[in-house]
Formats: sequence, structure tokens, C-alpha cells
Amino acid sequence: MADEIKILVVDDEPIVIRSCETVLKSEGYNIEGCLGGKEAILKMEQTAYDLVFTDLKMPEVDGITLIRWIKQKRPDTGIVIITGYPSQDTIKDALEIGIIDYVPKPFTPAVLLDVTKRAVEWIRERAPVEEKAKEEEFPPSMLNEIDRVISQYKNRPGSSIPVLQRCQQIVGYLPPQVQKRIAKGLNLTPAQIHSIVSFYSFFTMKPRGDHNIRICLGTACYVKRVEESLNKIKEYLKIDVGDVTEDKKFSLETVRCLGACGLAPVMVIDEETFGAVTPKKVTEIIGQYT
Amino acid sequence: MEKYRANLLMCAGTGCVASGTPKVRDALKAELEKRGLAEEIKIVLTGCNGFCAEGPVMLVYPEEIFYQNLTVEEIPKLVEEHFLKGRPYEKLMFKDIEKKHAIPLMNDIPFFKHQVLRVLRNKGLIDPESIEEYIARDGYMAAAKALNEMTPADIIKIIKDAGLRGRGGAGFPTGLKWEFASKSEADQKYMLCNGDEGDPGAFMDRSVMEADPHSVIEGMIIGAKAIGASKGVIYVRAEYPLAVERLQKAIEICTESGILGDNILGSDFSFDLEIYLGAGAFVCGEETALMRSIEGQRGMPRPRPPFPAHKGLWDKPSVLNNVETLAQIAPTILNGAEWYRTLGTEKSAGTKVFALTGDIRNVGLVEVPMGIPLRTIIYDIGGGINKKKKKFKSVQMGGPSGGCIPESLLDIPVTYEDIIKTGAIMGSGGMVVMDEDTCMVSTAKFFLEFTADESCGKCTPCRVGTRVMLDMLTDITEGRGREGDIETLEDLSRDIIATSLCGLGQTAPNPVLSTIRYFRHEYEAHIKEHWCHAGICSNLCSFHINEELCKGCGACLRGCPQQAVVGEKKKPHRIIQELCIQCRTCYDACKFGSIEIRPAVRKKTTEPAAKDEGVKQ
Amino acid sequence: MARLTLDDLKKIKEKQKATFTLREGGYRAKITVHMGTCGIAAGAREIMTALMDEISEAGVEDVITTTSGCAGLCAREPMVTVEILNKPPVKYGDLTDKKIKEIFREHVLGGNPVEKYALVIGSETTY
Repeated sequence: MADEIKILVVDDEPIVIRSCETVLKSEGYNIEGCLGGKEAILKMEQTAYDLVFTDLKMPEVDGITLIRWIKQKRPDTGIVIITGYPSQDTIKDALEIGIIDYVPKPFTPAVLLDVTKRAVEWIRERAPVEEKAKEEEFPPSMLNEIDRVISQYKNRPGSSIPVLQRCQQIVGYLPPQVQKRIAKGLNLTPAQIHSIVSFYSFFTMKPRGDHNIRICLGTACYVKRVEESLNKIKEYLKIDVGDVTEDKKFSLETVRCLGACGLAPVMVIDEETFGAVTPKKVTEIIGQYT
Repeated sequence: MEKYRANLLMCAGTGCVASGTPKVRDALKAELEKRGLAEEIKIVLTGCNGFCAEGPVMLVYPEEIFYQNLTVEEIPKLVEEHFLKGRPYEKLMFKDIEKKHAIPLMNDIPFFKHQVLRVLRNKGLIDPESIEEYIARDGYMAAAKALNEMTPADIIKIIKDAGLRGRGGAGFPTGLKWEFASKSEADQKYMLCNGDEGDPGAFMDRSVMEADPHSVIEGMIIGAKAIGASKGVIYVRAEYPLAVERLQKAIEICTESGILGDNILGSDFSFDLEIYLGAGAFVCGEETALMRSIEGQRGMPRPRPPFPAHKGLWDKPSVLNNVETLAQIAPTILNGAEWYRTLGTEKSAGTKVFALTGDIRNVGLVEVPMGIPLRTIIYDIGGGINKKKKKFKSVQMGGPSGGCIPESLLDIPVTYEDIIKTGAIMGSGGMVVMDEDTCMVSTAKFFLEFTADESCGKCTPCRVGTRVMLDMLTDITEGRGREGDIETLEDLSRDIIATSLCGLGQTAPNPVLSTIRYFRHEYEAHIKEHWCHAGICSNLCSFHINEELCKGCGACLRGCPQQAVVGEKKKPHRIIQELCIQCRTCYDACKFGSIEIRPAVRKKTTEPAAKDEGVKQ
Repeated sequence: MARLTLDDLKKIKEKQKATFTLREGGYRAKITVHMGTCGIAAGAREIMTALMDEISEAGVEDVITTTSGCAGLCAREPMVTVEILNKPPVKYGDLTDKKIKEIFREHVLGGNPVEKYALVIGSETTY
């Protein structure tokens, strides 16, 4: 996990770079260092970094200039400042341009690690919303439909969940692009929308198969050993819970009690409920859908 | 005027629909038309009847004959026999336990006989989509009385005197809740209904919403009058599409007919009601979390006070009642507190609906007066364990917040106070019966998986603590348990209970504590002997054939996916331990009980437990 | 639907009474048409239809009809049994359209058994 994170440390004092390297490398982060803003810009034109740690007072190109450049050219990169002069004004400037956090010099390894961890979490949370947005394309009719839903709910307080439910119905899932569109439409930040999507199990960010199979993991189904049927389905479709088969025909999910305990164990395919399933029966039923 | 000589009430609850109600209904309709009976006999689709396991079920009035397991193939015969020739068709009737004779009348079937219906008073008796049929059963009479003749204080007094306690789990007195909110001063108040039935194994709220949506609406109107709310929201799980549809239709028709909206039933009281679809988060059963969810946020609880009665939804005074609670309001208002108290005990008045599921013969919904012994519910109504040779082990009550009650305590009366003494809780009324083939450690693990997954993450003890406990339980069930684990689990449980903010965290360790309390020997057998007696934890058991009992029928041999069973026909078989993967197939297949479960056989190639000892710590 | 008042509720309830007499019990009279194979062959279906028409026309809410199998007296089919609450049941035989109408008016509505068509009075009740 940590080794996927690329961090650039910018400081005119080599000792700072070295100590950052020692602390963060041991945690598995990917660290590079450079001694000034100019060099940093050159490096960043070549490579995308997830995080930049930068000093503010540096010769030639100083920290604030670097941060401005990053915001413009590399908006996805998270910024943390390292400063020996944490005066209110400089911090305020930096915060206004948009940094994640700051580390006051001198710092202990614990502080550095802590800040890094939080910064990584922050970019991770943002990442799916920002990055994947470019990948997917949706037909205009779908987007129109989404906009219609948004405008219908726009001025009603607390409408984010119903809007997301309706949009998931339209698209089938809630990819970052859709979340972003909803956020904009409802005048919320993408983070707010994403926090709701990630909290409720009803929402999914992955596309589903043509047929969505849901297995109930309620107590009654558990007691009647639904696990065995679930394992059989996984084996039969060669997918895990939460995945879609290669041919995009089936997706597999688990749910917490469908309230049809009288029929336990229960499997639902799309909207149809099947009761008293067994490992043998599930493959037969799924077979009918192929 | 149309006049029918018979009404066929077919259950169209989720369970029966899944078992085939729509197809059977079509076949029945076609058959009645074919026989020229369509003018005389009316088919009515009702909500959940509660006897889900034998669905699709149908009740024939006026004779009150109960048919179950209906199939399309049997319909012509049924119509010919019963409706043409007037001979109730035995083949589709309920059979008593020994399967010897059929029981035609619904009220003679033990499952129904012991029940007293208040909450479920209209189940299977009315068409849930017809407001006229609801009105025919005294529907909206209580609302009319409350709105036109009573003051909020009058209403609250009846509910308080009745001793009605919230049926969602904690059992807080409903009248008190209403009184607090009634006394709060505000320009806007909210009356809310919790239809986010989250406890796995409980489905009474779904049933009520499907079978009798108007009873919930009427309860809310009366509650709204009592607290002075002009707006209401029913929060329903999106996983209950049929309930949502029925409620939606009921609200529409009420709005059209002046039962919702302005000046309800000619009074000066106005109340608007809408449905809000939940999005699947167990913690939203907690009232403050549910309110955050309606506000469109993450459903996380917040500290109380301030209580919702002062600052609830949108920071306005709000009351949240459970579906089952609300369904009891109307009859209580009509018949009075004394009537309500004729059933139940002093502190636990009235009836309670239980969802009886698991390894039990009669699965379904049962409504009984509180105070009757647990044993009556399980044996007389439920018919006992569903497999002849298996023994009862435990009944789980209260879902992930509850606990497991052992055989020795089955004679306790079912009341809020007595249940809590056992370490379980009344909860929303899920009763999951488990037979001797259940591993209690795995069961505790199952519930902890649930709570660890559903913890909203706000409080560290709950978020991290449940995870740590889950890891320990996983270790125990997979053979890596260590001395002292039980004590650590108990310690952790106490900490989580003491330091969590909401009910989810405060009750999450209950399944673990109660299983340790009554089934400590199972934990010890898992840890010390590497032996899961029930044969569920596959690392901790081995299967052997008792040669004296084995008849050599070959059922196990044919079923074994590993070809681990060997033996000649009619001679005792044997299991080759090196090949066995402990899948239990042979155990379930054997009709003679000749498969025995013994401690794990240590196979040379894998020694996970011993190795891990060194790595851990 | 128009906006409802308490009076409307009562009216709806009254209107639904027949249906719920059927489902809840509490009916005053029960007429059983014996519909075995022999009964149907002899015209029990027509009797049932005539009876339903009568009930409908009279607008009574507390009378239910039901069917049962052969009454065991095949020669006298079609037959019905009329049971008025707390009165002994009366079996009628050799019925026709006209006879059943008369029985309905005299016995079911009027409370006086029509002795000229009656086969037995006071046999087993089916309540």
C-alpha cells in the first residue's frame, strides 16, 4: 500500500530531506528529494507525485510559488508544508491556496509519520472522485436524466440520499463522474457526496452484472448454513463477493437480512427471491439465467 | 351490488410471493372463470400472513379453511373439490406433526391457536391496498376520535396508562416519549416512524407495513396530534420494495381522502406524511443516526442529551417510533388503557410479535401476550426443532445486540425484564432457534462480523474493539486460540460496553458475553482441545464413521466431494482422514447417525496453530 | 375520492359489513348448498346462483352461503341446509329456482321454516 505512494520532499537543507527519507522509507513510502523549488518543478513536469512536502523559505523559487504552480499544473498532488517559521500569516497564505497540512521544524519522526498518514488518507479519499472521472463516458440521455433528478430535489434539504438512490437506478452504480455531477448539482463538495456513498451499503461504485445476485447473510440464513451455497456460487461463477463475472453477466453481493427469514436461506436475483436454497439449487437457478 | 359467497385471501407477502403467489393466483383466477365461479368467489391479495415457511398460503372464508404450499398444478383439483363440490381439499391442508391427519381450520393449527392478534389484527384479513377494508375493521375511527374529541394530554394519558413500551428494542415507554416532545416548544415538530428493520432475523415490521400499512399511518396521525407535529416521515429500508409500494399507495389514498393533509377527517388538525428510503446502514436504527440520515448525512449517532424530543430532526423536537409500536396505537385509543393491560404483565403490558426462524418446524410471525414462557413459543407454537433427531441448543434473541438463551432458561416468561436478565434483550423480536449442530463460538463470531462491519466508526472502542474481538474469535474458530483468550474477550467486552456512544457499540459484545456465559465449555474445547463439537469449524473437527451404526448404504460415499469415504456396499465405510476436508456432507447425508465428530486430526503437512504461537505476541 | 369525515367512515364500514361478516364470522344465517357430484347433476349450481341473486337483491349483510359435499340423500337433490343462529338447522330437498326463493324469503328472512319443502328439522349443526 505505502509503496504505491510517491512523495517528493523539497527543502534547501539536505538534512531535512535525509531525515524525511529515513523516517518515511522505513514505512515503505517512495521518497525522492530535491533542494529547491526550481528543481522540484523540473521533476514534477516529468513525474506525477502523490504528495509534495515543501519548505516555504527557499532561494530562487520559494515555497508559495511552488505551491501555486502545483495547484495549477498538478492539481491532484497533495501538498504538505514543512516550515521553521510557522507564523500565522504564511500558514494562512498556504492554507488559502490549498494545502493539506503542515509540519513545524524541527519535527519528531512520529509527527512526520502522523501527518503523512493523514495526508495519504486525504488524497486516497479524494482520488477515486478526481482520477477516474476522465475514464468513463455516459450517454447524454443518462446525464440528462441525472440532471432532471437533481433539479427535482435541488432545493429540498437532505436530498442527497434520495438523489443518489435515483441516480444509481439510472446508471446502475455511482462512479466518480456521477458523484461529482451530483455534488455540483446539489451544491455540495464531492467529498460530502462520497462520504455518503461510502457509508451506506446500498450504494455501489462498481458496475453490476446483467443479473445481480444477492445472498442474504441474516441470522436465519446463517443458521441454515447459507455459507455453503455462497461458496458454491463463488466457485461456480469464479468470482468473489462484490465482483462481476468476466462476461459481465453476473455480479455477486451479500446483504444483511432481506426479512424473508421464513424462506431461509434466501437468494435474490435482480428482483426475484428464491427461498430455501442449497448448494445444488443455486447453481441450477443461476444456470437458468445464462 | 356485488356479492360473493366466498373470499379467498391469498398471502402476497414477500415470502409467499417468492414461493409463487402470483403464478398460483393467475391459475386460480383462470380456473374459477373456467368453472363459472368468478362471480361468486373473490380472490383478495393480503399482506404477510406470517406462516411464511409453508407458502404460498391461502385462507378461505367463510369456512376459515387454511391451505398451504399451493402449486399451479393443484389448483384445478382444489377448485373442483372445494368450490364446486364443497369438499375442502385435504391434500393442501396443514398436517399435524406426526403427519397423520390434516387440520382444516386455521385457528386449530397450533401455530395460530396460541396467538393473540393486536398488532397483526388485520394480517391476512384485509386487502392492504384497500382503505375501505381497513375502515371496515374500525380503521381511522381512533384517529377520528383523537382528532375531534381528545386533547394531546388525553391521548398521552391513555398511552402512558396502557404501559405501551417501544417495540424497537430498548422498550422505552411510548407515552413518556410523546409527553417530552409534547412539552417542547417549537414552531415545527416531527413525527417519525422507524421502518428500517435492521436486525437480521426479524421481519415483523416488514410484515405490518406490507399487510396493514394504514395501521402505521393511523398510529402516526394520533402520535402527531399528541406531540403537535405537522410533518412526518416513515423511514423504510430500500430492501423492502413491497412494503414501500404499499405504504406509498396508502399515503396517496389517504391524502386524496383527507386522512392526511389539511384538516384531517374534518378536524382542525393537519399532518403531512412522506416516505424516506433508507440506504442500508444498521446503525440507522439508532434514533439520532436515523435523523442524520434523513438530513442527508452519514448516519452517525450523536450524544444525548439533547434528546430528540427537544432537538431531533433538523434540530426540531421529534419522536421516533417503531412500526410495531405505532400499529398498536389505534386499538389502544379506541379501547382504552384497561383493555390494553388485559394482556401481558405489569411492566411488560400487551402483546409482542416475534419472528420465529432458524431450526424450527413452524417458521413465521407470532404475536403472543407478553409473559408467556419462552418454551410455549418455541414448542407449542413453533413446533420444536425441525429435525426429529436433533436437540434444541439455544435461542438467539435481540439480533446482534442480543444473546443466546440456553435450554435451561426456557421457562422464563417473555418480558423485557426477564429477557435482559439472561443476557439477551427483547430487541425487535427476532427469535432464531438453533439446534445442537450449531457452534456457539461461530455464532458469536457471526454477530460480531455483523457489528464490526456495521459500526459507523465514530467511537474507537466500537470501531477497533469489535474488530479486535472478531480477530480473536476467528483465531479461536480456526485453531489458533490461546489460554486467556476468553478472559481477554470478557475484558474487551466490558470496555466496549462502557465507552461506546450508542446502542450499537453498547450492545455489540452481548452475543459474545452470553455465549461465554452459557457455553464457556465450547470456547474451552475450541481452545484447549481443538475440538468443535458441532463440527462447524472445519479446522477443529474430524469426521469418523461408527462402524457399528453404519449400514453401508453409501449415501456418504456418493456425496463426498473428495472421495475420502471408502467401503463396500452393505459393509461399514471408513473416512480417509488425509483426504477429508471436513465439509460435513457425509454428516448431513447419513440417515443412521453413524458419523461422529471428534477433535481435529493433526495432519503432518499443516500445523498452523503451533507455528503461529511463536509469531504472535 | 372525496375528503372523508367521521360519518363517511361509518358509512364505508357499514358498506363493507357483508364482506367482513364472511371473514370475521358473526353472521345470523348460513345456507349450505350441497354440491356433491349428484347435487351438481341435479342442478345445485342453479340453486346457488338463484340464492346469491336473492341475497343480493334483499341487501342483507348477515347471511352467508357455503357449499358442502353430498348430503347423503342423492335422490332428493338438489338440497340445501338453512341454519339460523340458535335455531335447529333445516334441510330442504328437491329444490327448484322457485322453491329456494320462497325458502329464502320465508325462512331466512322471515324466520319461519317452510315445512312443505323441509326434509328434516334439527339435524346436526355445522357451526
